Amino acid sequence: MLSPALALSVVIVVFVLFGATQTPMFLNGQTWINILRDAAFLAMAASFATIVLVSGGLDLSVGSVLVAGAMTAAAIADAGFSPFTAFLAGTLVGATVGFINGMLINQFLIPPIIVTLGALFAVRAVVVASTGASPIGPLPDEFDVLGQASFMGIPLPIIVAIVVVGIAHFLLNSTNYGWSVRAIGGNREAARSAGIAVKQLSVSVYVLSGASAAFTGALIASRLGSGSPTLGQGFELQVIAAAIIGGTSISGSIGTVVGAALGALLLSVLSNGLVLLRFDPTLQNFIIGLVLVAAAGLDIFRRQQMFRISARRAASSVRTG
Amino acid sequence: MKPHEMNNVTNDQIMPKPPLLEIRDGRKSFGHVAALRGVSLRARQGEVVAVVGDNGAGKSTLVKSLAGVHTLDSGEILVSGQPVDHADPRAARSLGISTVYQDLALVETLDIAANMFLGRPIRKWGVLANRRQMIREAAESLRNLNVRVPSVHVAVGELSGGQRQGVAIARAVREKNPIILMDEPTAALGVRETAQIGEIINSLRMQGNCVILVCHDLEFVFNFADSIHVLRLGRTQGVRATHETNREEIVSLITGAIDDDEEMGRKEK
Repeated sequence: MLSPALALSVVIVVFVLFGATQTPMFLNGQTWINILRDAAFLAMAASFATIVLVSGGLDLSVGSVLVAGAMTAAAIADAGFSPFTAFLAGTLVGATVGFINGMLINQFLIPPIIVTLGALFAVRAVVVASTGASPIGPLPDEFDVLGQASFMGIPLPIIVAIVVVGIAHFLLNSTNYGWSVRAIGGNREAARSAGIAVKQLSVSVYVLSGASAAFTGALIASRLGSGSPTLGQGFELQVIAAAIIGGTSISGSIGTVVGAALGALLLSVLSNGLVLLRFDPTLQNFIIGLVLVAAAGLDIFRRQQMFRISARRAASSVRTG
Repeated sequence: MKPHEMNNVTNDQIMPKPPLLEIRDGRKSFGHVAALRGVSLRARQGEVVAVVGDNGAGKSTLVKSLAGVHTLDSGEILVSGQPVDHADPRAARSLGISTVYQDLALVETLDIAANMFLGRPIRKWGVLANRRQMIREAAESLRNLNVRVPSVHVAVGELSGGQRQGVAIARAVREKNPIILMDEPTAALGVRETAQIGEIINSLRMQGNCVILVCHDLEFVFNFADSIHVLRLGRTQGVRATHETNREEIVSLITGAIDDDEEMGRKEK
């Protein structure tokens, strides 16, 4: 059976090979550094947004939390504190927003789409109001290191993203925490009667999502050398698109972090590659929209196929082991 | 046959040890509705007790009280002769009572192994999931109960109703508790699958478990239960050893055509 990660890898390779026949720019090292760096920021936020989706939730506040993290880190760095303090403060602001989201969803039982949509509006409004709608910067050089420096020719944000994606993947796949998150996304009542602390778990995924979005924002501020209150507009939709393209089910429980990272890579390859192909920029989003719907369609097709196979298998079932 | 005499014989005289599970004069009301109005039940080790009764007889309330979902208003629950006071399903589990609920409480998107260890994973270094061990033990548990599935890696959503029931029972059995409550385990199952659940119940009896079986399929009850406990309007209408009664008598007890045993006792005096 075609796994989403494999299908995505094939699509990316085919697109790149096609692009290479059109323009040599496609195989240029600098092009790939740009593609990977764009993908890196998206993948970091998408990894934890995927965990939220797998838990049966949804986080639409990612773009606003990202700018909150960016502006907090920028303001702290600008005030002369260490880069570590700046990144930590930015990340904590995101975690706090995530905690409030999680509490509203689980204590007051307001649907996740409403709570996080509310946060999307409210958080950016607070950021814009508190900064007077003006950018903060230029920021101190030490703060810019993580976003701008390279290690062995590879920009640090790419390395940081690999670490963050790796942590999220490990958390979801190898820990009891991750399996419990899948369980609450699949059947909350069954998870509860099995003794899983459903509410605490659900709050925690929003905290992690908020923290990762805000950390991503701080890293973007570091990359740009300044913080702007317009950062991250529409970012939440790209994040969710990356997760869905990566095979995460919008109805919960099913999904992988690796898939989301590949989804982020595909979006980045597309948006950079279509420019190289001199594709009308106003139509780029059309392509991304098609890919998104196709990915969701593929997911449904796969599941139908799985159940048809299972019907046959159940008919001729064999003893285990 | 004199059924009202049998009742007391099976319950009181053959048993040297205290019963494994006992409920004494259990009462439970929800608002003005009295769901249990004095139910007493005893079950020995290696005994399969079927609880039957019409809708609203209090079967579900009885099971949920034993499982720790409900707390009794009055009356006692004893495990091995010791009174227990369990406030929630987790406490009941740790006191030796496992429950297979009617809705099974399985996560369809997760595979069999993950469902078998839902909420009680085998840990590695405290936080990691020891999947290899869980997969091995899940396969072993199912094999022991003769539950046939393609593989423990298959999502529960892909299984048939009988296989799901088998997984839910295997999960309860794996907790290694001596008392297993089953709420309508044959509901919505086909003939062959129902027979398979019967086999599982037989093997649980052989292993010395005590099974409380809530079921309204009387044919199944007569095939697999050792004794039949009839509830009617929240009271114990009668208790019969399966091999000493017949379908007509049980139906009469369920519908109230035969007076309950206490009434009969009083009349005879």
